[in-house]
This record gives sequence, structure tokens and C-alpha cells, in this order.
Amino acid sequence: MPKLTIDNRSIDVPPGTKVIDAAEQLGIMIPRFCYHPALGSVGACRVCAVKVLEGRAKGIKMSCMLDAEDGMVVSTTDAEVVDYRRYVIEWLMLNHPHDCPVCDEGGHCLLQDTTVSGGHGLRRYQGPKRTHNDQDLGPLVQHEMNRCIQCYRCVRYYREYTGYEDLGVMGIGRRVYYGRFQDGTLESPFAGNLTDVCPTGVYTDKPSRFKGRRWDFERTPGICIHCSLGCAITVDARYREVVRHEARFNPFVNGHFICDRGRYGYPYASAAERPWQAALDGQSIDGPTALQAAADRLTAVAAEHGSRAVAVAGSTRCSLEAMAELSRACRGQGWRGPVFFEETRHARAVGTAANHLLSGPAVGLPAVEAADLVIVAGVDPVHEAPMLALALRQAWRRGAAVVIVDPRPVALPFDFAHRPLPPGAIGPWLEGLGGAAPVDDNKDQDDLGRRFRESDHPVIVAGTDILPAAALAQAADLAAGRVAAGQKAGLFCILPGPNAFGAALLDEDHDGLGQVIADIESGAVKALVLVESDAAWRYPNQARLANALARLDLLIVLDYLASPVVEAAHVFLPTTTVYESGGVFINSGGRAQQAVTALRGGRPITQTGQGGHPPRVFEPDIPGAGQQAAWAVVRALAAAVAGEASPGDLSPLEDLGQLHPALTVITPAPLPPEGLIVTGGFSSLPTEPEAVASDAGDAPGLEIVWTERIFGSEPLAARAPALRELQETPFLLIGEGEAAAWQLADGAMVAIGAGEPPWKLVVRVVTDMADGIVVLPRLPGWQQVVLPDGRLQPEDIHQRS
Amino acid sequence: MTTTYPQILFQNRHADRIATLEEYAASGGYEALRQMIAGGDRAQVQAAIQEATLLGRGGAAFPMGIKLSTVAADAPFPRYLVCNADEMEPGTFKDRVLLHADPHQLIEGMVLTGFAIQAAKGIIFIRPEYENAARILEREVALARQAGYLGEKILGSDFSFEIDVHRSGGRYICGEVTAQLNALMGKRPNPQQPPPYPTESGLWGRPTVIQNVETLSCVPHIVRNGAQWFKDLALTESGAGTKLFAVSGHVNRPGCYELPMGVPLSEIIEEHAGGMRPGSEFKACLPGGASTQFLTRQFYDIPMDFDSLKKAGHRLGTGAIMIFDHKTCMVAATLNLMDFFARESCGWCTPCREGLPYIRDLLQRIERGEGEAAFIPMLEEMSKYLWNAYCAFAPGAVSPLQGLLTYFRDEVEEHITAHRCPFQASGSGALDNRSQTD
Repeated sequence: MPKLTIDNRSIDVPPGTKVIDAAEQLGIMIPRFCYHPALGSVGACRVCAVKVLEGRAKGIKMSCMLDAEDGMVVSTTDAEVVDYRRYVIEWLMLNHPHDCPVCDEGGHCLLQDTTVSGGHGLRRYQGPKRTHNDQDLGPLVQHEMNRCIQCYRCVRYYREYTGYEDLGVMGIGRRVYYGRFQDGTLESPFAGNLTDVCPTGVYTDKPSRFKGRRWDFERTPGICIHCSLGCAITVDARYREVVRHEARFNPFVNGHFICDRGRYGYPYASAAERPWQAALDGQSIDGPTALQAAADRLTAVAAEHGSRAVAVAGSTRCSLEAMAELSRACRGQGWRGPVFFEETRHARAVGTAANHLLSGPAVGLPAVEAADLVIVAGVDPVHEAPMLALALRQAWRRGAAVVIVDPRPVALPFDFAHRPLPPGAIGPWLEGLGGAAPVDDNKDQDDLGRRFRESDHPVIVAGTDILPAAALAQAADLAAGRVAAGQKAGLFCILPGPNAFGAALLDEDHDGLGQVIADIESGAVKALVLVESDAAWRYPNQARLANALARLDLLIVLDYLASPVVEAAHVFLPTTTVYESGGVFINSGGRAQQAVTALRGGRPITQTGQGGHPPRVFEPDIPGAGQQAAWAVVRALAAAVAGEASPGDLSPLEDLGQLHPALTVITPAPLPPEGLIVTGGFSSLPTEPEAVASDAGDAPGLEIVWTERIFGSEPLAARAPALRELQETPFLLIGEGEAAAWQLADGAMVAIGAGEPPWKLVVRVVTDMADGIVVLPRLPGWQQVVLPDGRLQPEDIHQRS
Repeated sequence: MTTTYPQILFQNRHADRIATLEEYAASGGYEALRQMIAGGDRAQVQAAIQEATLLGRGGAAFPMGIKLSTVAADAPFPRYLVCNADEMEPGTFKDRVLLHADPHQLIEGMVLTGFAIQAAKGIIFIRPEYENAARILEREVALARQAGYLGEKILGSDFSFEIDVHRSGGRYICGEVTAQLNALMGKRPNPQQPPPYPTESGLWGRPTVIQNVETLSCVPHIVRNGAQWFKDLALTESGAGTKLFAVSGHVNRPGCYELPMGVPLSEIIEEHAGGMRPGSEFKACLPGGASTQFLTRQFYDIPMDFDSLKKAGHRLGTGAIMIFDHKTCMVAATLNLMDFFARESCGWCTPCREGLPYIRDLLQRIERGEGEAAFIPMLEEMSKYLWNAYCAFAPGAVSPLQGLLTYFRDEVEEHITAHRCPFQASGSGALDNRSQTD
């Protein structure tokens, strides 16, 4: 442990620590531009200079390039080095346009701060400034090259960290230019992080452009709810509107970065079509009246058909508070449910995953980054959990081998091995890898199995979207088997939605909305309470859903999104978003994290008149603020049905252990910043996974594998205008042999299904795919495609062109 | 009367043509290779080079023997040898002359060096303007291969070695060792600060030795004639071997001369270069390309070897001597060099990328008569701070400026106080209207 002295203060640091980090541990923030903890030291900007007074090499040295040595004495305040740093800043500012007043980075700009603090207050350079042309980099990132100080962070992040190559550095000397060969949308779905890594305003956030400065924003710590990873974000709100997300450092989950879906997915909260007002039979009405009407009608249905005729469905985007109140309401009133998943197979798969994560070797994204071998089964990382793709890339950069076992063609920004097995074959394949089953003449798997057993800290990543529950159990057993053998193996699962883990714990019957719909059709269910559920988006058969809802005596919908189910509701009760009421979400690693309330509810304030300021004083009764958090509405509804005078003021997080023992750790007290890991309490989950249907071999047609897309599948972010621009044209992936047999040419436009208007897709003939399947994306329109047995026949394809 | 010295590298030099393989062989060429291959002693080559104190002729003067010794015995294979023929230092043209005179000594030097470090491949990295030399090398490499000096199982031995000629994309920074390796690997040619050193981890992570054309060309002669013979070629105790001096400027006979290490500057100018031009008096010179400091009259008789110049606070660099007469404005001359360096900075680190254009701007103002007294301390500070750049480019680039401020400060001050360039009748320097080329 080298012990060094920095500015007369001593510190012990582990060997290999850079002086810049050692100083930071002492609270001495040495200026830096090119240095970034995730990108490493390159010594380009020269602003982190310190003076080494005692050490192997004395004099002015770059603290980011300098390993701490025992006995080293370093000064950051020595007059010569302060003067040197002042010069570095002056050099960096030679060509800067001084456009801080119109720069979105102003007020939050590392260059601005460093220029002021570094003592470069007066401009001496009188020469001409170099200027650049900017590029259109697409709808997410604004480019303004004249502000550039050539720290190389952007290209190091983009090319080295994320592995995409369409942004680079061109030219030499003071003409160094960061951009693309030509204008065009950045290809990386992690491009938004450029706005965070850039120390000045070269890359700024385009959707929030000119919407305010950091000091104008209410900035609160939030949790991203656009997938199950639960990345940390900072929510920037102004005038009751979320205008921006930034990445927030969380060493246990996402590290420094987030994906573009998480960064730009927020506009749903202030969408013009957002339903703000309660409604009864299609007529706007005040909240209390609507609530009472809902309670009265529920009471009537229960009185007539029994309490089990009332079904409750939430979704995986419900907060834990809402889920808990749904669970309590069902238990208290004898209602059916709650269900949280669209289909029973998802409920089973996620339940099985959660079950094993509670008791098995569950790990987080950092363990994936640190793994030496990662086997990814049934996940398309970029599209289902984007930051997983970056974590895998970091593992790969450190020398790990990555094997993707997935029927679909998978694209990742690094080299990996792909085993395109059909979904039903993945579980047995994993089992074979563990050596439990005899490996019959499969040398490839034999080799991989040996590498797996010999690796030091492998991680199995398993998805719940296309894998059956049995495969999740097999993945978990594989990891657990290595742990039992004394290895540091880990299990990481990708779940469908930000609180799918919580949903799995509170899921009573382990079936899905599909079963509820069947029960509506059979007449067993007469009333449905649909809470923040994306039934109209996620349920794969819209016609059937609509018919079922139409059969109901009572449909009560609680949501903050406009949707066909809101319009179909007899009673609609508006709820708040995560920004307005916060909430606890349990991520795919079993980490319960708390999003803090970012703004008061209500409609965004729009500025009226010619440049007149909006009102700065808020009345206690905010226009359009009648909505409450879903948990509060559910509790009030249950209380009203029970005839209680008041819903009480207990926190929804009180006594969670009664709902599921693993939730005992969560209490009404604020969660620690790093969250809490839920663990134990294995029993209430299904231990018997459903049987795998493997009789499809000789059925006609091709098995459809529905696949998530990073932009367009997740219903919240799909409402963001900027992200809609990035949505792909829906596609049909088909193997070469099948395409020839079905006479489908690559690039042809076809329509499939019986929906109206027909769902148009472009045919892509691919080779790296499992036999016997076609891949279709969950992109808008997919819900209309009614293919009841989950198989595609040649006659389902029409409008060939 | 011009003093004559033994010609080693130029022994087969013809005024009008390139020496052939046969001529080279007839003068003893490839004998060293035959001896070494037959003896099979790799260490002997390295030992001879080290004993001869052969210093790198590309400008840095690093001892080649020591560099070879840093390729560890158990270092991984394949290993590489790179010949740096990217002669872009302003004023330097010795490698071009050498390649056009007798290219086989380079080829033999590369094979011998490759033999010493057990390299499988040699790459000649040549600047694109040297297209003729590149073609000559490609042709002569093929001839050497035909003759069995190169390729599979050289001269019937177990040793195989290939040479490729690689044309640079054409930037000054590509002459820097680590930048050159990046360029060869298809990467952006930014320098890379060691560790690791190229001899540990160079091209594609493998041990790589880089040497200049002239350095490698000395190797066959050292191996054949011995280290002591090589040392005895020099006029001074501290020198070893001969040096190609590329002389340019206000002299009667600019050209490239092979002279013993340690030959006095005055002798080079007065005898070999034919003296100053009529009406010209010696004012200063740059002894080794643009990245060295001005040598003034006080150093007129200095022995031109690496050590003597180092002791005097100077550098021999590439040995490209640019001579300025008394009518030269040193501010304008320095500005000219700064213009080059500001343009050629790779743009990696701030002091070099931004500091050099800043210095150029200040010099330009001084030359135009717009200088201010405050510029001088700024120039002094910057010329000091540019030493804290990422690589050796910026320290080299400010060397002429430091020379200007040390030896011609009065000239700079005169520009400022008179608000004009004293060497220009109109007060407007010849460089005044040059457009900034970056």
C-alpha cells in the first residue's frame, strides 16, 4: 500500500492507484478533461498537472498518468504548476466561441468551471479562431464543434467503450474534428451518453435543447423504468414537466452510463394526450365521484356474482407500492388476482427466475463486466436490456468470452459466439453444459462445457421473454452447480419490465392476463380493475382483448397513459407517473431501489403571451392535479368497497413481509441510495416449472419468436417523439431455406395477419437463426396480428411486392 | 583545399545513378551477412553494435545496441523490425540521398538486425514523397531475395526474413516511433507514451525495433569491420562512425556530405559546403533539423557529434544543417518553422495542438510590427511549458524558439520597439501575408 503525501496530507492507496484518484479520495479535485474513470487515463488534455516534489520523477507530471508511489510528495498548489494549468486552460480556450449564454451546457460545464477556477480570466490571444461545420447527428444529440477542446472523451467512449464506429476523430493539429464521415443519425443506442461525457457543449441533449439550464431544473435522483435493469438517472424537471434525463452514477447497477431508451423515454409523462381527468362512462368527472361510483359498481358486481368475479390486473411497470396495495385489496376483498404479466408463460418464467435469484448466486451488472466467461441464453441484449450489452462488451474487452445461445440473429458491438438454438432446446443445452446430462457427440458443447467449468468467475445470463420456465431453472441450476463446486459463478436474469421481480413476488396465481381474458370469455369474471397495465400494447391479440373487455359488466382503469383500454373503461381514474409520486422498483438483480418524487403533479405549465413569464407561485390546488399515485387510488377504492370511512394513512410499504417474506427488508423508511437486495423467502413461488411444449417439430408452418426492439417495444419510451424517429421498419426474419420455399425475397414488403390496416413488414432473409422459426418484432401494429397458435403459415403472408 | 575523409555509406555513391547489387557486393556488401549466418551467433551482431556505440541517426541518438538488448530472450514471436524512412524533419534529406546512392546496405543492415533479434519481418516505413526511393527499394528488395539474401532460409540457413515497403500517409508525426507503429497498424498515428516500450510490445503487441535508415545502413559495416574500426572513423573521442550531414542555406555548395563524427562545424561550412555565399556572413545555423536550437557564431568551431553538442546544450538531431546569413530575420525564420510545427501537430495533447499556433500568432505579430513587450515573457513561458507535452514533438518544436529568445532576443525586441521588422525595408515581413495553413 503506497503511502503518499498530497498537499501536505497523507493517504494510503492500493498499488496502481493514479495520483488523480488518490487526491480525489482526499477531497482534492484535480482539474481534468480527458480523464474519466470509465475511460481511463490517456494524458491528452494536460490539465491535471501536479508537481512531484519527492518521487522517482520530479517536476510537473500528469496526475492521471502517474501511479502513486510510496513516499511520493505531490503538490497541486505549487506556483509553477498552477501557472502551467492556467496556460493549459488558456490554450483550450483559444478557439472556444464563448457562447456560454446560448449553450445548454452553461452552468454545468466542466470547461466553464475549470476556466474560472483555473485563473484564466482574461483573454490574451488575439489571433483568428478555427471554426468547424457541425453535423446533424440525428434526433438525440446536438453537435456544436466550435466549443470543442479536443479531450477525445467522445471518441474513446463511443468507439472503445461502446464499440460503435460511426463517430471518430479526423484531422490533425488544431483542425482535429470529432464527427461522422457525413451527417447522419448516430448508430449507437448509447449515444446520449456523449452529452454526459463531453466536458463542454459539443454534444448536448437535443430534445431538451433550449428548455432550461441546470440551475433552472429541479434535479432529483430517479430510477429508469424502461427495462428491468433499473439504471440510476437524474430527472430534470421544469415547469411541472420532465425535460431531461441524465445518467447517474451507480456502481452496483449501471456504472456511469445509461442507454438512449432510458435517457430519452420520459415524454410520456407530459404527453398532450395524457388523461388527466377522471371519467365515468366516458364523461369527465371529479375524482372522488368517479372513485365512489367505481366502488359502488364493484360492490354490485361482487354482490351479484361473488367477489371472485372481480379480477385485478396490474403490470410490471407498477411500483412496489401499487403492487402491494393491489395484493392487499385482492386479499381483503377476495378479488381474483392480481396478475401482472400478459401471458402465463411469462408469469411462470419470471416466477422461476425470481425464485432462483432469491436463493441462488444472483449477481448484478458489475459482475457481468468482471466475468471471464458469459453465457447469455435467450436474451437479445441490446433490445431487451441495453446496458447489458455494454457490460458484456466491457467483459469482452477484459478478455472474457461471450456465448449467445438464442434462436434469433443477435447483433452486439463485440465478437461473440452465437448458438442459434430454438427456444425449447436452450434449457437442455444449458443442462448439458453443466455436465449433468451426457453430451452426445457434441464437441462444441463439450469444449464450451470444459471452458465453463475451468473459468474462474463465469456468469449465466438468462432471459424470460422467449425461454420457458424450465430453461430458467436449468440456467439457475447450471450456475448453482458451479457455486457448489467452489467456483465463483453468477446468475443474472433479464425480466420483462422495471418491477417484474416485485410482480413475481406478489403474483398470486402465476398466470397472466391471458387467463383472465379466458375467464371473462367463460363468464367467470365480470369486472376487471386494470392498473397501469399496457394490455392494449402488450397483449398479442387486440381483437380478442377488445371483445373480452366489451363483455365485462365493469371495467375500471387506472393509468397515466392514453390507450384504448382507457377509452373503453366504464370508470377511469388517473394516476401519477413515477416522476410525480416516486416509488420502489425491484430490478432484475433483486435490488429494490427508490425513485424520488421529482415534481408536483399536474399539467405542464405552458408559457402564454409574447415572452411573458409563466406564473412562479403555485396554488395548492394545481390545475389538472386530481390524480393520485396508483397505490393510493387502489387503497381508497378498496376502502370504499369495504365501507371504511378513510383509507388510512399507513405507508403502502408497511408490513410488506406479510405479502412476501423476501420483502421484509423493505420498510417505509427511505431506502439507502444503493437500494436493498431482497433475498430468501423461496416458498411462495412455483417450484414446479411448467412443462415445455416440444411437440412442435412436425406442426405445419414456422414458430413465431416475437422479439423486443430497443425503440418501439417498451410502451413508455415508444411515446417519445425523438425515439419514434429511430424505430425500425417492422421486419420478418426468415431463414434461407424457408424463404426459398415460401418464395420470399430479401427486401420484399409483405403484410401479415388479419388486422386492418394490414401490418406491413420488410422481409429479411438471414442465416444465423435457429431452424423452424420466424422472428417478428413487437413494434406498433404487432397486436393486430392474430396468429392464434403462435405459428406462421405461408398463407398468412399477403400483399407480396 | 577540401579535407577528404573515408567514405563508408557513400563509398558506392555515383553522381548519376544508384549502385547495383553487384557493385555493393563487390565492395564487401553482404559479407557481414554471410559471416553471421554461417557463424549463427545472434548475440555477436548486437554486441558489435553496442560496442561500436552506434547512436540512432534519426535524431534521438538512442544507442541502438541498448535498444536491441531490451528485446528479451524469451519475448514472444513474431518480432518485427521497422526501418524509419519517414524523413520529414525540415531540412533533412540524408536518407533520401542514401537510398538513392546505395540501398543494399540498408537491406543488409535490416537482415542483420532482424537476425540479431530473431525478427520475421522488416517493414520500411517511407514517406510518400519518396516514391522513387520506395520503388528503388521494392526493386532492390526483390533482387536481394533472388540472390538469397532475403526471404525463406537466407543463404541456406534456418533464418527467414522478409522486407515490406510501406508508404506513409504522409504526416510529420508518423516519424515518431510509437505514432509510426500506430500508423502501420492502421490506427490514428498518435504517439503512445511508454510503457510498454515498442521492444516489449510494439506492432500488434509484439516486440518491435525501429531504427532510422542511416543507422541501419551502418550495421553491415560495423559487423564486417568491427566496432573499433567504426569508432576510429570519428574525429572525436565521444563520436563514433561517420555522419551524413545534409547542408542547406546560404552556402555555395549545399548538399549531403559523409563526414566523420566530430568534424568542426566551421570545416563543414567553409570546406565541404564551399563557404558562405558571396556577400553573406554566417549568422546562425540549425545543426540537426527544425527541432534543434540555433547555433550561433560562438559555436562556429564546435565538433559536430552527439555528445559535444549535448554538452553545449544543443542537439545534433538528424545532422541537417540549415545555415542562415546575416541578412536573415531570425524572427521570420523561427516563424517559418513554427508554421510547420503548428500545422503538423497530431492534435493529441493541448500544449502542442494549441500552444504552437499561439506561439506562431505571437511571432507573426512581432514580425509584422504589431508585437508587444508582454509577448516575450509569454513566449518564454510557453516555450518552457511545451516541454510538458505528451511526446517529444512539442519540446523539439520550441527548440528554435528557445534559441531565438536566448541568442537573438535583441532582434526580437527591436521588432517590438521599432514596430517593424528591421530586415524588411517596408517593415512588412516576407511572411506577413502568408495564410495560416491549418
